[in-house]
Amino acid sequence: MFIVDCDCHNYWSSATVLEPYLSGVWKDMFIEGEKTGPVGAFPHGHRPWFHPQDFSRKDVRPKVEADNYLIMKDKHLDKYDIGVAILTGDEPIEASTLANPYYASALVSAYNDYQINEWLPKDSRFMGSIVIAPQDPRLAAAEIRRLGAHPRMAQVLASQGSVRPYGDPFYHPIFEACAEVGLPFAIHLGGHGGINWNAVAPAPTTFFWETHAILHMSAMSHVASMIAHGVFEKWPDLYFVLIECGIAWVPSVLWRLDADYKALRKETPWLKMLPSEYSRRNIRFSTQPLEQPSNVNHLWAILEAMDGENTLLFASDYPHWDYDDVNTLHIPPEWRGKVLGQNALDVYKRIPRPQAAAAA
Amino acid sequence: MAEKTYICRADEIQVGTPFIAKVRSLSIGVFRIGDSFHALLNVCPHRGAPLCEGPQCGTTAPVEGPEFIYHRENEIVRCAWHGWEFDIKSGTALVNPSVRARTFAVTVEAGGIYVTA
Ligand code: FES
Repeated sequence: MFIVDCDCHNYWSSATVLEPYLSGVWKDMFIEGEKTGPVGAFPHGHRPWFHPQDFSRKDVRPKVEADNYLIMKDKHLDKYDIGVAILTGDEPIEASTLANPYYASALVSAYNDYQINEWLPKDSRFMGSIVIAPQDPRLAAAEIRRLGAHPRMAQVLASQGSVRPYGDPFYHPIFEACAEVGLPFAIHLGGHGGINWNAVAPAPTTFFWETHAILHMSAMSHVASMIAHGVFEKWPDLYFVLIECGIAWVPSVLWRLDADYKALRKETPWLKMLPSEYSRRNIRFSTQPLEQPSNVNHLWAILEAMDGENTLLFASDYPHWDYDDVNTLHIPPEWRGKVLGQNALDVYKRIPRPQAAAAA
Repeated sequence: MAEKTYICRADEIQVGTPFIAKVRSLSIGVFRIGDSFHALLNVCPHRGAPLCEGPQCGTTAPVEGPEFIYHRENEIVRCAWHGWEFDIKSGTALVNPSVRARTFAVTVEAGGIYVTA
């Protein structure tokens, strides 16, 4: 079976790995101002809560920089025979929390170059993500165009935490650039903090598990906003991928959006289909973390309602604490081929077809 | 048929660093709590992660209000992946005692640790 992991985090042991990729005042600020140290020290406006146990699995303990890849290869890529792993970085997407958009953009550019030079060559199974700092969409669009032709860049990636819901016309330069270079726009859980102050709907929460369990509230806003603002009318081929944002809420939100749109379509006259139809065509959801009801049939009924067989993409979230492996994914067995790999081929057009065909 | 297998010397196991042994095809973690030894199957009943590679630790006692009593130091192992807490002595999961990791009898003879599995 051909497996595509849509969320594989490539860690570093220290953010100082970015130093060679920064120059001028940004390098000066990075070294002199931030005194960037070990994991966790990458500049970002900190989230209001903290993880009580660290974010990473406890059987993943790199000692030197090279371990980050070697352990991933051993405990994840080889062990589960992953065909393609899309690298989603880790700390760099938190650059979206910084108030200074110029510095944030310099940091993500440095990260992208580091990823291309130091991660992609390590393993032919890797595809990369162009990480952007969406707080200045013009700079983000420039970054997308700078690297958009790279054959191993699979997507454009931003954090789920944002200043506004992503459908807002403020962000449209980003989608214009994505459409131009032919890459999906993905958001990954995180980036809640700093200028993205509205972490969840009422206000910041207190505890990590409480927060993590409801972080998909902002994903709901993004889905509604992307559809309502007509992003998928303007760019009908654009895929919007939600990574690590939960799934079981999707049918309920789409049911509500459809019902309300039917009554009030005059507010958004540019739409030509029901919200659920745009979602089915243009939006994909990553499995990790799949909800875990005590009766798995309750989950499966919900996945059915969102056409999960065709709209779900497998993600492991390696090496985070809520990691899912290929074998224990709770989806109907007859969906495995599509969810674990085939659906991703529709979205990630740059995954080499022969590689997929050979393994399928 | 369960048989007794020599694992290591007792002084090779420190509190916080379980000895992970292969017994036939089984991976088993042997923990020290003070001067007693306990063995758990190194497979988590949740999703099969290497349970014994998580931290050996304590936890908060159940209370009625906002009070934080850290207790049972070193009697708990948190699974290496999703962090479920297990009682090292009984193998039971703290959130749901009907979920258990398999335990094995440990004996100490002449300074050597033996596991019956
Ligand atoms: S596999 Fe151990 S807590 Fe999930």
